[in-house]
Amino acid sequence: MYIISNAIKNLFRNKGRNILIAAVTLAIIISAVVTLTINNASSVIIDEARLDIASRVDISIDLFTHGRDGRQTITVEQYVSFADSAYLRHTVFQAEMQAWFGNFFAVGDFEMGLTPPPDPNMPHSPVGKLTGHSEPSHISGFGTYRHFVEGRMFESINEAIITEELANLNSLQLGDIIHIESAFQHGKHFELEIVGIFSHEVDEVEAFQSIVWEMMGFSLPSMISQNEIFTSFETLMSVGWETADGLDMRLEYYLRNPNDLVRFEAEVRAKGLPDVFGVTINQAALDRVTGPLEGMRSAAMTFTIVILILGAIVLVLVSYLAIRERKYEVGVLRAMGMERGKIACGIFSEAIMITALCLIIGLGAGSAIAQPMADRLLAGEVETQAEAVMGAEEGGRVLMSGGQVQTDDPASGYRPISDIEVAIGMDVIIQIIFIALALAAVSSVIGIIRITQYEPLKILRERA
Amino acid sequence: MKCLEIADVTYRYDGSTEAVLKGVSAVFEKGKVYTIIGQSGAGKSTLLSLISGLDTCKEGEVYYNGKKLRNLDRDEYRSKSIGVIFQGYNLLLNSTAVYNITLSMNISESDIKDKKAQKEIAYALLEKVGIDRETADRKILQLSGGEQQRVGIARALSHDPDVIIADEPTGNLDEATEASVLEILTRLAHEENKCVIIVTHSENVTAIADEVIGIRAGKLLIGEKV
Repeated sequence: MYIISNAIKNLFRNKGRNILIAAVTLAIIISAVVTLTINNASSVIIDEARLDIASRVDISIDLFTHGRDGRQTITVEQYVSFADSAYLRHTVFQAEMQAWFGNFFAVGDFEMGLTPPPDPNMPHSPVGKLTGHSEPSHISGFGTYRHFVEGRMFESINEAIITEELANLNSLQLGDIIHIESAFQHGKHFELEIVGIFSHEVDEVEAFQSIVWEMMGFSLPSMISQNEIFTSFETLMSVGWETADGLDMRLEYYLRNPNDLVRFEAEVRAKGLPDVFGVTINQAALDRVTGPLEGMRSAAMTFTIVILILGAIVLVLVSYLAIRERKYEVGVLRAMGMERGKIACGIFSEAIMITALCLIIGLGAGSAIAQPMADRLLAGEVETQAEAVMGAEEGGRVLMSGGQVQTDDPASGYRPISDIEVAIGMDVIIQIIFIALALAAVSSVIGIIRITQYEPLKILRERA
Repeated sequence: MKCLEIADVTYRYDGSTEAVLKGVSAVFEKGKVYTIIGQSGAGKSTLLSLISGLDTCKEGEVYYNGKKLRNLDRDEYRSKSIGVIFQGYNLLLNSTAVYNITLSMNISESDIKDKKAQKEIAYALLEKVGIDRETADRKILQLSGGEQQRVGIARALSHDPDVIIADEPTGNLDEATEASVLEILTRLAHEENKCVIIVTHSENVTAIADEVIGIRAGKLLIGEKV
């Protein structure tokens, strides 16, 4: 017990030295609190984003590499069968059918829409799209650029929703039945009841694209977003599809664990997925969303490591000098018969007390600094990424393939995470306590090692 | 009663071929005051270092109560069995006089654990050597050489050791305090059956000795003129 009380007294007897050690320790702890808090908060968000983006698997042909080769070799049934996997927690079924409108006009070209082909067995010219969704909540734009004007979302089989422009052009109302056929597969037709009418705001990009297409002579009704009709996936599948001709299957497979991608791919390959199809996650989107956070986390961790190393070096040096200063004191205590272990225990107790005090102050100060620091770092990273993306978009490509316009940026539409809420959790506190203990050990270990080498008589003789 | 014995001890400093002590032997008994006299560099302090367990002899043995000192726990020996009054005082300079005493009691694992009681004993010991309470509460750095020496004496007595070893204990004391300190040391030997060994140049100190041991050129001269 007297060792502890002696250690407490020593803290006040050697104020200058202890203030110096405390200042270095405090700087390290504050830095560690800030960076670990940022790191942990970033990790949670990155993991969530990874679960959201990286767990979503797309099965599609890489059009840039393979063109449309091999698309015919995979059936609708296969697409659906891939969803039956233990690796998946969820599947969103979605498909787009190139459509020909039977009893109403398409926006942009109503004459073409009503002109049947000379041979009924030949494909029609598509004038729009019929998109089937297993989960209406996954239809993009609702709540942002798509809003219901009348009615509701489809719920039952053979229900559909259409755009306000399409409804106005054809004087269609809720409850009306529309006739839609597959433009590519003869005999696949639908009688759908309109249960909802929605507005579709054309944004600047889409408007610009329309102008470009018009100038290039590609102004087809099927490329106009107002000609897109939504129904359930069940409705779309109800006609029975032997092949996927005229269908764009866009199933989203969600893995239970993003790390199961390779195993899931092996499974679908075993089920007959050809090599031209890729089984991929949207890595570019993941990178875009989490890039700034990753950058911030990396910067924070680098900073922590540098601070920890430099701090540890400074602590070792200060401790070395401190123990030289205390050599006489150690000599006297040893001459009085105090055991080496007890002296070491006293020195370690002093280090622990200084560190504990710094820990309390450091946790408070660190938690106050962490949020503004994180905001500042993240804003910088977001700005850097925005500049990089802008540069990439300026040099980006636009691919025209089968009437589809695609940018070559798979991360298009994804925005980086630009807000982060950091708070000190138990995990950070535990990590900081371990760091603090390590600091206490570092700051006392030199002293303890030196003490084991000191012979009291030698010290006292040197003094004399 | 035999308490300490040095048997055929030879000591050389590291790196030196010349022995400081050359096969010396002596016996120290409880209840007696011994003085060791000799010229500077004769080996007096070296002998004290060996007896006090601060150093170990290369040849020969030091025995405490019949046991080889090299086989004993020397920390325990220093903290409990002997009290050393150093020529250079060797006190904790940033601590008060009274704290130096109570710390020594704690290191020796004194039976008195109560802090207040420890302090009272410390004050009493310091008072015996002429240090009043006010001075006792001052830091060592604020005390004169003579006062520091008296604190050193009080500290050596604080844990009631069997053997008291003193290196020039009265060198910085005035005559009155010297007499008082010598009276204490004599009483400890004669009334409390302690073994008191004093290295000195002082005739006043030699005068109180029951036995005078001379040391010259590394040899002990017991009962001879130095």
